[in-house]
Amino acid sequence: MTIAIHTEGLTKHYGDVEALMNLDLDIHSGEVFGFLGPNGAGKTTTIRTILDEIRPTAGKASILGMDTHLQSVEIRDHIGYVPGDLAMYPNLTGKDTLTYFANLRGGVDWDYVEQLRERLGADLDKRVGDLSSGNRQKVGLIQAFMNKPEVLIMDEPSAGLDPLVQREFQKMMREVAADGRTVFLSSHTLSEVQRVADRVGIIRQGRLIAVEGVADLRSKAIRTVNLYFDGPVDGNVFKPLPGVRDVKVDNHHVMLSFDGQMETLLKVVTERFHVLDITTQEADLEEIFLTYYEEVSA
Amino acid sequence: MLTTVMTKTFRDRWKGEAIGVLTLVLLFLMGMSVYRDIDLAVYTDLPEVFRSLVNIPADADVGALAYGAIYTSYGALTLASLALSMGSASIAGEERDGTMGLLLGNPKSRTHILVSKAVNVVLLTGLGTLVLWAGGILVPQILNVDITGIFVGALVLHMFFIAVFHGFLALAISAWTGKARLATGATVAVMVLSFFAVGWLPLIEGLENGVKAFPWYYFSGSQPHVNGVSWGHLGVLLGGIVVFAVVALAGVNRRDLRDRTTGTGLVDRLRTHPLTKKAIDRLAGSARVSRIWTKTASEHQGLLIIVSYVMFLIMGVLLGPMYTFIDDTIASIGDAFPEGMMELFGGGDLTTPEGWYQIETFGLMAPIAFMLVTVTIGSRAMAGEEANRTMGLLLANPIKRSTVVLEKTFAMVIYALIVGFALFAGVALGSILGGLGMSPGRIAAATTLGMLLGLVFGALSLAISAATGRSRIAIFGTIGVALVFFVADGFLPLSDSLAGLAKWTPVYYYLGSDPLNNGMDWGHGAVLLGLFAILVAAATWLFDHRDLRQSA
Repeated sequence: MTIAIHTEGLTKHYGDVEALMNLDLDIHSGEVFGFLGPNGAGKTTTIRTILDEIRPTAGKASILGMDTHLQSVEIRDHIGYVPGDLAMYPNLTGKDTLTYFANLRGGVDWDYVEQLRERLGADLDKRVGDLSSGNRQKVGLIQAFMNKPEVLIMDEPSAGLDPLVQREFQKMMREVAADGRTVFLSSHTLSEVQRVADRVGIIRQGRLIAVEGVADLRSKAIRTVNLYFDGPVDGNVFKPLPGVRDVKVDNHHVMLSFDGQMETLLKVVTERFHVLDITTQEADLEEIFLTYYEEVSA
Repeated sequence: MLTTVMTKTFRDRWKGEAIGVLTLVLLFLMGMSVYRDIDLAVYTDLPEVFRSLVNIPADADVGALAYGAIYTSYGALTLASLALSMGSASIAGEERDGTMGLLLGNPKSRTHILVSKAVNVVLLTGLGTLVLWAGGILVPQILNVDITGIFVGALVLHMFFIAVFHGFLALAISAWTGKARLATGATVAVMVLSFFAVGWLPLIEGLENGVKAFPWYYFSGSQPHVNGVSWGHLGVLLGGIVVFAVVALAGVNRRDLRDRTTGTGLVDRLRTHPLTKKAIDRLAGSARVSRIWTKTASEHQGLLIIVSYVMFLIMGVLLGPMYTFIDDTIASIGDAFPEGMMELFGGGDLTTPEGWYQIETFGLMAPIAFMLVTVTIGSRAMAGEEANRTMGLLLANPIKRSTVVLEKTFAMVIYALIVGFALFAGVALGSILGGLGMSPGRIAAATTLGMLLGLVFGALSLAISAATGRSRIAIFGTIGVALVFFVADGFLPLSDSLAGLAKWTPVYYYLGSDPLNNGMDWGHGAVLLGLFAILVAAATWLFDHRDLRQSA
């Protein structure tokens, strides 16, 4: 597996503010990497540093094996970029905007642009300044996808998009990954990351807290188990079991948090009681995300 | 709310005002100390026509000269410019930034916001005036110059009124149209035109009274620094201020607010017109986005057209025949001109057509015209894209940062060349129409040197823009530096001991060799070109070695 984006001890200070601390990260070719974190966590700083918009205080980064500072121009031949809080030239139409960037890049497949336009339902004839923020965002997305970049770097790209377009956009990201190319997706829309990302990195206060596969993260996650019995039960029976926490008993109903082997739990329960119903609730990324934050801030 | 909006606007604006007026006080200090050193005997025979042109009273002394030269020209223009920039940004600026809706999300009316902004124009201009007044009183004491007979209070009161007048004119246009650029452009045009009309019209027989149609007359016409306050004139200005306030009030309440869009350029309008759509679409649509420099050049077409037009027609063509009208008056003056005095206005000699053009066109207007286009592009070059948050997107393309700087510089050079050509063609044509017989080669020399000077200041603003990413600093920094150089170039030669220092200002290399009479001085051209190259190289290096700003 080749490495698309690599950072090594990447650090950025703004005066006394430590915006990014010692970021070590490898993002593989052919994956969608979700970069999660609350506002001000350092997501945008990371992106701007690896794009050579700002220079690291320490450490270094490479994209496709090329140094992000020394070979920044070569790198930009291979990337597509959607900045956070996207702004474009209000006086230009969508078409003009794309032509401008196409000219700077030196050639773009206009048939492909047309396909993208159709998929996202973008209006390229209006001046960008007259477009709504969602429609402006579509122009920004086409701009990033149009040269079929090997690495797509996007900062909150689905801002303002309606749910249907969001779904199409997520499909487009999966296609890029299926094509062996790479998507670096900074977001705090967890549902989106959950749906498209292969792995996620979680960043908080400038520090990378965890990098996990979305599937691993889920399997590790605590789930909520609800057990319904035909008569009153004693909650103390469950407490010593491995993986069980927060047991709450309400007459016939037991609710507990569980991150152990489901088989063990079921065995104990079915041997001792008569179970009428079991429901388990898988934790979604949001809970995991919150758990991570709580753990770190605790 | 009134005070809240006002306090915020005040906080945004006070620095510019403070820098502006403090620079003026410093210039005044410099001017007065130079005047103190020179032999005033040269002024005793000042010709009437000349005095009218440069606004110097008959019984001029050190005090009157310094106030006349610094306060009534540079001072009033600067104070009025600061006021008009506040006025034009007031309503339209909030709309452009997309913050107007946010403001009006609070339970206050448009009128409230307008009034807060208007009060702020008056307040800041008033404070600026107070500083100028204090400077005007203190400097002579420091330098031990007797200013008996000079009405400093009256002068600054007139300055205050003319500044608020222009501030409110800009406010009215800004409130009525929601277009900040239009408000600035139109008000500057009114100000500059009226400033020059007050200098010219009295020279032309039969048109002396036409001067009363121009607002500037009601500021300087009564010569308040020697004659005291003219309440009648202030009344006229106050009338204008009241009218503009009413127009602003009506204007802001009558229309739909604009939402963060920018103005439509000429090309955009032609593009939507059915007759021109096809041709312009092909030309503008593909041509203007073909390169960074073409896009940059397309962004300020309106300014380029106006500046080129003014330089060609008014400062060029019209002045030729006009010289023949006033030729007789001037000829009768003969050699009465004190040489030192002329230095102040580009060192022209009104008895020759070259001198006439030098004083009227090349001395001040030509550098201003060149600087208008070069500094506009230079200051916005990097900082503008950063403020609009498009720089990140631009630099996500496979281009070097230096390419961005150099292409934007190229657009600046193209603009300077176009203005230069308009100026050359205008003056050459004016000379032919007036039968003045000026040498085209020498006109070209003066134009070229002026263009190079404009490019030097443009490159300075480019370098500041590249270093800081803030266009406001680039604009005001460059204007400040230019002002100091221009005044230094005008004043230093008046004093024997300081004359040598003038060579340290780039302005010296523009008209120092008297190109309209002597032709091109290649050495001087090379100095300006070298400065330009150094500043562009500095801009490239500075931009390459800093973090991009994320937003304004």
